[in-house]
Amino acid sequence: MADPQPILKAEDLSKRYEDGVLALDHLNLEVRPGEVYCLLGANGAGKTTTINLFLNFIPPTTGTCFIKGIDVNKDPLEAKKYVAFVSENVMLYGNFTARQNLDFFAKLGGKADLSKEDYYQVMRRVSLQEKAFDQRVKNFSKGMRQKLGISIAIIKDAPAILLDEPTSGLDPKAATEFLEIMAELKNEGKAVLMSTHDIFRAKEIGDRVGIMKEGRLVMERSRQELQYEDLVKIYIDYMKSEPLAV
Amino acid sequence: MWRTIFRKEMLDNILGYRFPLFFIICAVLVLTSLYVHQADHAKRVRDTSEQVRLAGEELAAARAADLHFGRIPLRGFLPPAPMAVFAAGFESSLPKFYEFTAEGPRPGDTSVAEESILSVFGRLDFLFIVQMVASLIVLLFASDMIAGEKEMGTLRVILANRVPRHDLLWGKFLGGFTAVWLPFLIVFLVGAIMLGLLGLPLGRSGIPARLILVFLASTVFLLAYFGLGLLVSASSARARTALVAILLVWIALQVALPRLTDMVAAVIHPVPTETVVSMQKSVVVKTINDETARELGRRYEELFGRGTPYSTAPEPEARRPEWEAFKTETQARAAERKAAQLREIESAYQREKARQRAVALNLSLISPSAAFTRLVTDVCGTGEIDRARYLEAVRAHQRTLDAELYGHVHKTTVIMPSGGTASGSSIDKLIDPKALPAFAFTRASVSAALAGNWGSLVSLAFWLIAPFAAAYVRFINYDVR
Repeated sequence: MADPQPILKAEDLSKRYEDGVLALDHLNLEVRPGEVYCLLGANGAGKTTTINLFLNFIPPTTGTCFIKGIDVNKDPLEAKKYVAFVSENVMLYGNFTARQNLDFFAKLGGKADLSKEDYYQVMRRVSLQEKAFDQRVKNFSKGMRQKLGISIAIIKDAPAILLDEPTSGLDPKAATEFLEIMAELKNEGKAVLMSTHDIFRAKEIGDRVGIMKEGRLVMERSRQELQYEDLVKIYIDYMKSEPLAV
Repeated sequence: MWRTIFRKEMLDNILGYRFPLFFIICAVLVLTSLYVHQADHAKRVRDTSEQVRLAGEELAAARAADLHFGRIPLRGFLPPAPMAVFAAGFESSLPKFYEFTAEGPRPGDTSVAEESILSVFGRLDFLFIVQMVASLIVLLFASDMIAGEKEMGTLRVILANRVPRHDLLWGKFLGGFTAVWLPFLIVFLVGAIMLGLLGLPLGRSGIPARLILVFLASTVFLLAYFGLGLLVSASSARARTALVAILLVWIALQVALPRLTDMVAAVIHPVPTETVVSMQKSVVVKTINDETARELGRRYEELFGRGTPYSTAPEPEARRPEWEAFKTETQARAAERKAAQLREIESAYQREKARQRAVALNLSLISPSAAFTRLVTDVCGTGEIDRARYLEAVRAHQRTLDAELYGHVHKTTVIMPSGGTASGSSIDKLIDPKALPAFAFTRASVSAALAGNWGSLVSLAFWLIAPFAAAYVRFINYDVR
């Protein structure tokens, strides 16, 4: 059977900011349905810039992002129908309860007619405690907020999910729970693009892992390839290598 | 989509601490202020009607000669403005009455004279509350509208959805503002009902229109400040930075700019003080009077002999008609000269003062606060327009009394070349006290107040549109990182 069409695709994508910094340099990548792609790299490597470009938060200098075949730069609103986003350290609205937050973002995601039970189900799925469903988010721990952030992405039920450092600051238990949810989403056929610093979890969950350095995708390995290689060693070797000529 | 944002914004504000806090502050300040000012207005109405009654009784019992010679003062009273309850404006600083004398109008007491040192902080009327308190609260509400979302990371999550940025901005603008406006509307309505129960003539012609205009002007003013807050918020990465910037903007527009314009106008267009002008007038009067008295004295001694004491019936009788003719002609000439020179001094002063005031007012319109104050005080009948009308009514009444009352009194002073001074007075026509015209002053109509405030309206429109437009452009082009 032929490979399914990629849901997320970056073609020759570059971004140079007004201050002259080249944040992304001719990136090409694809994420297919049921695939988790982990972008590894140090701070400033271009991981978040890649996600920002997919979400049309910033315009590319060259190249194109496609979500489900739609050029993000040409038709951003249509493209965003097919993508959900989980941000790092999102605080959400402290005055709202978890359900109210979920309701607001669900409506923005085009889900206007969900019931209370629908919200509860999603929150149960991410293992948020029942008693927290109708509690104000301002009293939530970081882990609870992150679970709620994932609920927001799940409830949108988009074919692609973008995650920006989702496990940053989570305790090991919460991070493990998070990866379990990712695995479920992958099994449901979602295309997941995740930027992370966490090499171990990237290896554990990623079907493919890309290492970014100074805006370039310097290495890409599949899960099969990583069975015979030490990802930690590869990563450290790339980080130690000479700066790239820009 | 903007409706979802609108509802969220409303709910977020209502569930937060700021909404009830603003509601309580608004209710306590506005209702207390309206109650106190209504009580003050009722007292002023009672006092004025009592003073008018007493003045009327005094006038009815007066003899004509007493009026001609100014032994009974004639007074014109300023009727209290009902809408001063909302914006005191010049109400307390204008004389409660003017006394009309042969020498000109003399101002009576002002309410300021009865106030304590605390009045230097300004009257806590509705205008002050909107201008100083509500504007700051509105700015604080707006300060984290965008910057707060950026800081919390929610802006990225929102914009990751199918949300057009203009929908987001409109939703936040309208939802955020409605959350501030609703308590304001409720308190205003409760305040208006309370005033009606306390006896403010809400049904009187013009008052409902003035009330609506005050509320609309306040809404536009607060909207302008909300737009300004949104602009600062859209330009700041952090809510705290936005807060500091907003406080600086508020100080500049609310506190510094309106006060600076008077000083700048005084520098650009200096005008002599009223005391200097009054002294100039006194010098003119004294000089002409002295010249006339000397001329009369010289002629008197030519006709009746050197050293003849001044008398209204000097000898020889045959020369009296010539003396009377000379006296009348000389006095008329002197009166004409005096009037012409005084008129020239007064009109030059008024012209220069009007220019200085125009410079100050036009400069002040740069500030939305000054434009708002000017508009609301004029709508309430306590502003610049009614002050000018009151002073013009006083001058017009003085002219009438000069022609019909004081013009019939002829005072003669003679300075004899041989030494000695004498004076006497006569009345050529006695007036019926009941026929004297009463002092008439009516406040400007609502349409006149609006017509005189096109500059304020343009300024408010500019402040309403420009900051929001700038915030819109900034936000649409903002790179979300």
